Amino acid sequence: MTTKSIPKEALPPGDFAIWIIIYVELITFAALFIGYAFARRADVELFNQSQLLLDQRSGFINTLILITSSYFVVKAIQVIKTIDNEKASILSSRWLLAAIALGSSFIVIKIIEFSDKFEQGINLSTNTFFMFYILLTAFHFMHVLLGLVILYAVYKKTKMGGYNRHDYRGMETGASYWHLVDLLWIVLFPLVYIMR
Amino acid sequence: MRNVWITLVILTLFAFLVGWLKLVNSLFVFILLVTTFIKGQLVSEYFMGLKNVTLKYRMIPTIWLFIVLSSIAIAYYLPISN
Repeated sequence: MTTKSIPKEALPPGDFAIWIIIYVELITFAALFIGYAFARRADVELFNQSQLLLDQRSGFINTLILITSSYFVVKAIQVIKTIDNEKASILSSRWLLAAIALGSSFIVIKIIEFSDKFEQGINLSTNTFFMFYILLTAFHFMHVLLGLVILYAVYKKTKMGGYNRHDYRGMETGASYWHLVDLLWIVLFPLVYIMR
Repeated sequence: MRNVWITLVILTLFAFLVGWLKLVNSLFVFILLVTTFIKGQLVSEYFMGLKNVTLKYRMIPTIWLFIVLSSIAIAYYLPISN
């Protein structure tokens, strides 16, 4: 009896250049995550007390937002890959627009969270915990902004019919970056907001 | 793919509740690290689409998750000498 197996792609989806960027980002964030965890050992009590000032609800909502936004981007690609008519572009662009809307709400929630912390007089110099908190979340915030710019460009091209069943590589390139933003937050949220 | 999204939502809700209900202890830190690994794997395999890619590229996010989460575990579990 023979079993059918799906042939494996030689390279990850999208342009390989984006994957080089993704690998560099993974290394950078790995250093920050591990740095945070070991810096915490120097003063566990300070980290635990400072962490109590964070709003876990906004971290939780933002995680749901990024997960759902990533899912919408997956749906947008699925539509382009499986439907072969003009409606595909319209439907796919709607998924992308929904993903952008969610990404934008992440930005709004984060700005509110940052404003709240700054109003409390918290800044990079407050202590080691908040130095890492601001560094990690602000750095990630910039990645979300860049991801949104990329998604918007993909959305515009999709809406104009720039992708189809046979050519959607550019869409996969933008999607891969957006999923990276999601992947990084998935580690950041429990590490900075929950674990103590 | 919807099941992947639902799993991610459930695991995220679990992490939030552990923190919100102040249940975090050594055991829950371990469970949180394992669920984070699972979530990361789901994103890389299904959302990023690496499930259908050759093993060497597929393994990069897996190895990254393993190194990062193992290092965090070491930092949390290694006794602190005063």
